[in-house]
Amino acid sequence: MRSLIVQLARLGDVIQTLPAIAALNARDSSETLDVLCAASLTGVVSLFPGIRRVLPWDGDRWRQWAGGWRKTSMSILPTVESYLQEYGPALYGAAYNLNQHPRSILAAHLLARKVVGPGHSGPVAQGLPRWAAYLREVARDRRPNSVHLADAFCGMCGVTPPGFAPRVAPPAAALPHDLACIGEENHRWIAVIVGAGDVARCLPPQVWAQWIGGLLNSDQDCRVVLIGTAGERSRALAIQDGLSPLLLGRLWDATGRTDLCQLASLLARCRWATGADTGSLHLAAAVGIKTLGFYFARARVHETGPYGEGHWVWQASSHSPTTWPVAESLSLILESSEAPVSSVTDGWQLWRGHMDEWGASFTRPGQADSSKAERVRVWNECMSDSEKDAAVLR
Amino acid sequence: MSILESNLRLVAKAAPALASAVREAGGGYLEIEPARSGPPTARAQGRLLHSAYDPLKEATTWSEAQRSSCRDEEVILILGLGLLYHVETLCQVLPPSMQIVVVVPDLTEFHDACAARPWGPWAARVTWVWGEPHAMAEQIVATGKPVRILTYEAAAQLHRDAHAAVEQALRRDAARRAGGQLRIAVIGPIYGGSLPVTRSVVAALQSLGHEVDWIDQSLHAQSYHSLAGLKDLRHRQVMQSKFADFLSQLTLVRVAERPPDLVLAMAQAPMTLPVLEHLRNKHFLTAMWFVENYRHLTYWQQMAGGFDFWFVIQQAACLEAFRRAGAKQVSYLPMAADPEVHTPLVPTPAEQSEYGADVSFVGAGYANRRAILPQLITKEWTFKLWGNEWDGASALSSVLQRNGARIDTETCVKVFNATKVNVNLHSHTGRGLDPDADFVNPRTFELAACGAYQLVDQRSLLGDLFTQEEIAVFRRTEDLPDRIRTSLREPDLRKAMGQAARRRILEEHTFQHRMQELLAQVGMSSPDRVGTILRGERQAGQLGGRSADHPELLPLLHRFPDAQRVELEDVAEGIRRRGPTANLSREELLVLMLDEYRVQTRDLV
Repeated sequence: MRSLIVQLARLGDVIQTLPAIAALNARDSSETLDVLCAASLTGVVSLFPGIRRVLPWDGDRWRQWAGGWRKTSMSILPTVESYLQEYGPALYGAAYNLNQHPRSILAAHLLARKVVGPGHSGPVAQGLPRWAAYLREVARDRRPNSVHLADAFCGMCGVTPPGFAPRVAPPAAALPHDLACIGEENHRWIAVIVGAGDVARCLPPQVWAQWIGGLLNSDQDCRVVLIGTAGERSRALAIQDGLSPLLLGRLWDATGRTDLCQLASLLARCRWATGADTGSLHLAAAVGIKTLGFYFARARVHETGPYGEGHWVWQASSHSPTTWPVAESLSLILESSEAPVSSVTDGWQLWRGHMDEWGASFTRPGQADSSKAERVRVWNECMSDSEKDAAVLR
Repeated sequence: MSILESNLRLVAKAAPALASAVREAGGGYLEIEPARSGPPTARAQGRLLHSAYDPLKEATTWSEAQRSSCRDEEVILILGLGLLYHVETLCQVLPPSMQIVVVVPDLTEFHDACAARPWGPWAARVTWVWGEPHAMAEQIVATGKPVRILTYEAAAQLHRDAHAAVEQALRRDAARRAGGQLRIAVIGPIYGGSLPVTRSVVAALQSLGHEVDWIDQSLHAQSYHSLAGLKDLRHRQVMQSKFADFLSQLTLVRVAERPPDLVLAMAQAPMTLPVLEHLRNKHFLTAMWFVENYRHLTYWQQMAGGFDFWFVIQQAACLEAFRRAGAKQVSYLPMAADPEVHTPLVPTPAEQSEYGADVSFVGAGYANRRAILPQLITKEWTFKLWGNEWDGASALSSVLQRNGARIDTETCVKVFNATKVNVNLHSHTGRGLDPDADFVNPRTFELAACGAYQLVDQRSLLGDLFTQEEIAVFRRTEDLPDRIRTSLREPDLRKAMGQAARRRILEEHTFQHRMQELLAQVGMSSPDRVGTILRGERQAGQLGGRSADHPELLPLLHRFPDAQRVELEDVAEGIRRRGPTANLSREELLVLMLDEYRVQTRDLV
């Protein structure tokens, strides 16, 4: 059967779709999977294992058509229809829709005969399937939640998590000439993600300068690569302004100079990636390097921590922290220890990622996983009887 | 064969009468001289009409700038002749399917243009219109297509009046034929004389079938006036300014909630320049009807560039002043009356006793009125003075009614109807008649709408609006008592003139007429936006009629009455109304998806 995964969200959510793809592949190897995603993300999605084809969703074209309705209303539907025909003449058997936005629901209904996930009971129906309703309540009420979003995506597709963190094979994307040396084996390369999609989730440049200065002064073998979008170049420059000129020879500024495939390639050459931007952290985790996240504002480790074993996250207790675990996080990277001396510091707690049959979880260093029972309860609550049977069979 | 004859032959192919008339008219209007690049350039009234260096290059630049605004389905109407370089280059950049029409306002100028340089094949493509403005407008309208007017300013300014007449004739024609339902946000003032005008404008637009969102700022008048209690002048001014800013922002929110086709502000509406610029950036059309004397209220100078369209109650110097201040489009739109509000009535004996008099004046105590009106106090007739702001006018205290209280509209109507001779004296801050006596005040129209007899001071624009058989005019203050005396002796004439004045109002000077003209002007200037709606092209019936090649939408359009305007959001809303369990067709899903991508206005605020 031909099936389609509809994932029109941003980079982070798209990367977190990897476990669902792996679980769907494991459930039925005869089911071919295509992915519909934002046109800007097709490059990186085409790296995903287990999919046949990536369909670009071009929001700008839809906006143009909608804006041109007054001039071309009578001819607009055939135009749009011919655009959709580029995806293929036949409808998909099923669409696994992972977003609650009406655009995703409508896209799923336009491209498939049956919809699994939001929109399952109709393109304009209000009701949500159990997993989608659960996620909406968690987001709306900000209530405690131990189920990782990537695992909830599995649930929305009607499968249990694969039990491992799927990897993306790093592409052989050519990098700009001056970045080509990144990853040389005689150095420890650390990728620093300078920004985040939301300004409220960005570490101040002076904190990054302090952090990078501490790293480079402590270990002569360390090299730092600044990562970010073109819009974050000024942030990267502000960080460099805060550093001693003597250290700048061991720092590479790649902000705004890579597309997503190049970024994946660049990250794969590093040992660690650190930062607050969950999208880039997920990409780093997917290409197989260690990650260290700083989660604050709306970011919560249990929901969107880097997926897989051995990733670290500092979670702030306040929305807008004023102190930062600089020394503690440096010791984690520099000493490659299982946990720094202090895993609790002034408004921050350290968490470590694990995997089990119910997906990803995070525990405090040295403590047992206390979330499993709760995760199992949620899974039992959110899965239909037939899905439960299928999960047991697997 | 001479260049003139050769070119006239081209003209004669489509317009032989024009060619003959040009031969007969002769030339001499333009001074022709060679440009540095070789071809001729021209001068008129001491001003160059084309570049002295390279007129062809200049015209090419002009045409390129115009090209993006022109649409296939439109007739391109060019105002401004000169040596027609701009017409030639426009013909080159526009596709052959687009019809180009050039107005010939002056045969001698056209003669010079024909004689100055040889024309190419482009001239055969041009439709020349000439003659009286109405005749020209008729020829243009006969094309049956939306008209886009392009003005070649350097040459067009030579015949501004003729062009204005053609535009007005076109506007009137468009107003007559206008249908469609626009969404219009009307922004009124917090208080003041333009507030009742706003009410009338809203009622008129609604009666024309448009959907009106009246953003009524008078609801905030009490709060605004309470700021007058602040003792420190600077505090008061700062807070009043901030209050106006707030109301301006509030307008933005209202506009965002229900995006209109046109934002129409009335004089004194609290709209700031940054908000207007924001609206323009979001592609909203904005207009202001400035129903004030531009010489007295001068804030328009700072706002001129903010609105896309200005409508003013004065002509000539006023229009020029607005253009100089940066107004992109400014048009004359005189005041009007609402005949439902200002209407004839027969006073009861009690009303006649309270409101009636031989002579009345209703209005505020401006300096010229304080100086002129005392001469009307005489034993020859009874005289009543109504209105406010008469403090200190001791010479008039014996005739001042209600101790100088503000008079509401209902009372005004009773006074007008119960008075034999209504004196209408335009306000002026000097002691005599207004020396810049151009615009016609609202009172003139209100009295006329009531069928009341009035004696009004002479205004230069009055003759275009009323005849002397409809409204009596006095030219000097010293003539006023005698004119009253004469009028009082002629009750039949007073009655006949009052009735004729009301007829004129009903035929030409209601707020419906004005709004039709205003919208027609906006529609002509944006034929592909407001114009298309006014022409009814967005109505379900017309959309359906054009769907022969693309029947996909027909089942969706059939759900709407033929005369209803249908936009994307309307079709989508109709689909959603079918309920969550409805089995939707593929076309319906596509419409819903397009609606999801409609221009978002959430970031407007």
